[in-house]
Amino acid sequence: MELFLRNLFLASVLLYLFGAVISLILMKRQKACNIIANFICIAASALGAAASVIKILWVNGPIGIFGFKSAIPFVSLDMKVDNLSAIFLLALSILVLCVSIYSIGYISHYIGKRNIGLFNFLYTTFILSMIFVLTSANAVFFYISWEAMSLLSYFLVVFESEKEKNQRAGRLYIIMTHLATAFLLIGFMIIYSYTKSFDLFGSSAGIPEAARNIIFILLLIGFGTKAGVIPLHIWLPYAHPAAPSNVSALMSGIMIKTAIYGLIRFLLCYLGIEHTWWGVVILVLGIASAVLGVAYALMEHNIKRLLAFHSVENIGIILIGLGVCFIALAQNNELVGGLALTAALLHTFNHTLFKGGLFLGAGSIQYAAHTKDIEKLGGLIKKMPVTALFVLCFSLAISAIVPFNGFISEWLTYQSLFANIIPGQAGLNLISILAVAALGLTGALAAACFVKLFGISFLGLPRSNQALKAKEVPVTMNIGMGILAALCLIVGLFPFTILRLIDQVAIDLVGSSILGQLHGGFLIVYYPLKVSANSISPLALLIVLIALILISLLVIRIIGGKYIERKYGTWDCGFEALNARMQYSATGFSKPIKIVFKILFRPTRKTTFEGDWLYHPETIEYTTSFTSVFEEYLYYPMIRTIKQFSQRTKFRIQTGSIHNYLLYIFIMVLALMLYNRFV
Amino acid sequence: MSDFLDTLSVLILLSSFVLMANKRIKSYIETFRIQSLLIALVAGIMGVDSLLTEGRFDILVVCLLIIILKVIYIPALLHRTYVNVKYKVEKDFILNIPILIIVCCGLVVFSYFTLATVDGLNESIFNIQFVNSVSVIWIGLFFMISRKKAIGQIIGFLVIENGLYITAMLSTQGMPFIVDLGISIDLLTAVMIMGLMVFRINEKFDSIDTDQLNNLKG
Repeated sequence: MELFLRNLFLASVLLYLFGAVISLILMKRQKACNIIANFICIAASALGAAASVIKILWVNGPIGIFGFKSAIPFVSLDMKVDNLSAIFLLALSILVLCVSIYSIGYISHYIGKRNIGLFNFLYTTFILSMIFVLTSANAVFFYISWEAMSLLSYFLVVFESEKEKNQRAGRLYIIMTHLATAFLLIGFMIIYSYTKSFDLFGSSAGIPEAARNIIFILLLIGFGTKAGVIPLHIWLPYAHPAAPSNVSALMSGIMIKTAIYGLIRFLLCYLGIEHTWWGVVILVLGIASAVLGVAYALMEHNIKRLLAFHSVENIGIILIGLGVCFIALAQNNELVGGLALTAALLHTFNHTLFKGGLFLGAGSIQYAAHTKDIEKLGGLIKKMPVTALFVLCFSLAISAIVPFNGFISEWLTYQSLFANIIPGQAGLNLISILAVAALGLTGALAAACFVKLFGISFLGLPRSNQALKAKEVPVTMNIGMGILAALCLIVGLFPFTILRLIDQVAIDLVGSSILGQLHGGFLIVYYPLKVSANSISPLALLIVLIALILISLLVIRIIGGKYIERKYGTWDCGFEALNARMQYSATGFSKPIKIVFKILFRPTRKTTFEGDWLYHPETIEYTTSFTSVFEEYLYYPMIRTIKQFSQRTKFRIQTGSIHNYLLYIFIMVLALMLYNRFV
Repeated sequence: MSDFLDTLSVLILLSSFVLMANKRIKSYIETFRIQSLLIALVAGIMGVDSLLTEGRFDILVVCLLIIILKVIYIPALLHRTYVNVKYKVEKDFILNIPILIIVCCGLVVFSYFTLATVDGLNESIFNIQFVNSVSVIWIGLFFMISRKKAIGQIIGFLVIENGLYITAMLSTQGMPFIVDLGISIDLLTAVMIMGLMVFRINEKFDSIDTDQLNNLKG
């Protein structure tokens, strides 16, 4: 079995490699290249998904896939898959499978305009680098793969490189990601200096207390930047809109999750949780990210920026689960720890499905209407009904509405927060209660945001010519999204399919099984939890929902009698036909929330009108903008200070005189000699 | 033999003091020529010694190489550069000569101080050669700092190289031939490039005063 599994994983990796090579070979024949490369990715990801499931269900303990030692010190390429890696690999493979199917259609609009061979090469190697990040067994290999992942995704972000905006986005992304990597590197080196080993599956017994805390902070900053935790999130809303949609689906769907993987792998598996404050820090960061992320998302009218902020929000929700897990483990409460870890991992998995899907949907809208601005969309449900259906599914899933998967994981997160409220620890309880409230707020705001997204872009009348001319996208694109939507529904209705897999991970890492606490079959899932007597059944809820709607319709019919339909124009006072300008705009829709969160957004508005009288203008123009607090008050001052400092020192140190430079060398060499003398 | 080498190493050190005291570019070149000749002499003595005791002749070849390259060719090249650059202001040091000499004395003391504890150098004979030759490196570097003209920098660079060369030779009793050859060719290339650069600097600024390179700063 193990040998078979090893070959399966190897075959998947080799197929990706093969895909990368073949897309370079076929660079000249763009159409063939696109189809072949994507089919190879589909095959490879199918193999990868199958192998991950087999690994979790039937093989215990980590299995080594390959291990190459090299002549360079510390560099050895070790690939090892344990249950934690396998669950992330499963999410990756499912997403890659769907995105690759989608890409067959989506990339076709680049044919003749772009180097598709190069794109497919970057795409495949990017996937490969993520696989290596998720499976590397030593820190150096992890670091190399991590860096490769960052660089390859940078190239994909700036794929449409002639646009000034994309260059800026790419620059910001690469600066942030390299800062993060620097923190990681320092963390790894501290680990090495105490244990003399880079093995991730080794023991961390030799690391003293203080060093552990430092490593925790370093890794949290490093991984937090990649995950997009507030206030390190600023690259996300720039990089995601710049990248092609299938790449943003991968980046948001799985790349930022590699940071979650890193946190679990290094902190939970390797270092072990000893301090409660680790969990508290992560929990607080999670709360901040969730609430602020969704609040900023509400203000965005660029569909992909909006989704990017939702990634920040969902990372926040995952971190809330992870934080509770860390707190519980620090207090040796394995059951709650396992529950919270399950919630976090399930939400990671779910977010991969629906956020990947949403970015694909955004890509479809862009493909059809050539704009990302939702103020210019409208009425797309009539032009592209299939896409609209899928986007609706994903929107419901991300808003945690009942029959879809987002609900299950958020429900589990709530359960873990409730379970974490234990008498006798006032401060922690307060945080947990606040987290529950924040999570509730987040959910409500997310729902509002997706009502806006779906309502403005799909319903009503087209607001621009582009939206008017939109057509349904190629069928492959819809198949890719359809699979994801179906999975969202399946996981939502039958959560046991995936919970069984995640439970194995929890048993591995925490040592407690949650599955025993959740009872139920496939048809009606029913969870009486011992820790808190809550139960839920998504399918039953769905049936109740449908029944309620039918009953209320029936009641209305019985009480109100048969209603008569009158066809009338509304809202036009009988003068003119309805037009697109009479509709709600996205700005108008989010205005109440903008007023409520005034302190956060600090909005400014400008109204200019022409005409004799304010109440009877000939033309009127209304512009509104909001300040991004973190950029305005944290990053810009920091950048300004650094810039001023370096400009000043530049004139003091870098005088341009050769003699000065020689003097620096001279003094340095003498100092080294002195150092040698005294050491 | 070690007496000869001791004497020669002191003479080489002395020649770098002389170089520091030189005021004119022409005399820099001549002093460098003398210093190189002394180094060739060291190589010659070691070469004869190794020929007699071990039958190796490669150090003699190195000696010949030094004579051709550092005693004849490079000084001639520098001389030609100097003649061809029209702009000439002779006095070009930053501090005055006595202070420079005192600093150089300090450098010798410093290198004695720093090298005193290095393992394996504490035997009386070896130590003095090593200290002297390392001091030559420091003085070469300091010479580069103290001179304004580009040719001064070239000479300083060559003196550093001489110092490194003699240090290596004295501490290993003759380096492998291929290393010597490589160093010589590197040096030749460097000097030729620097000679060219001096022309370019002269063309651009009407002077070979490196202080004026400040203007290049963005």
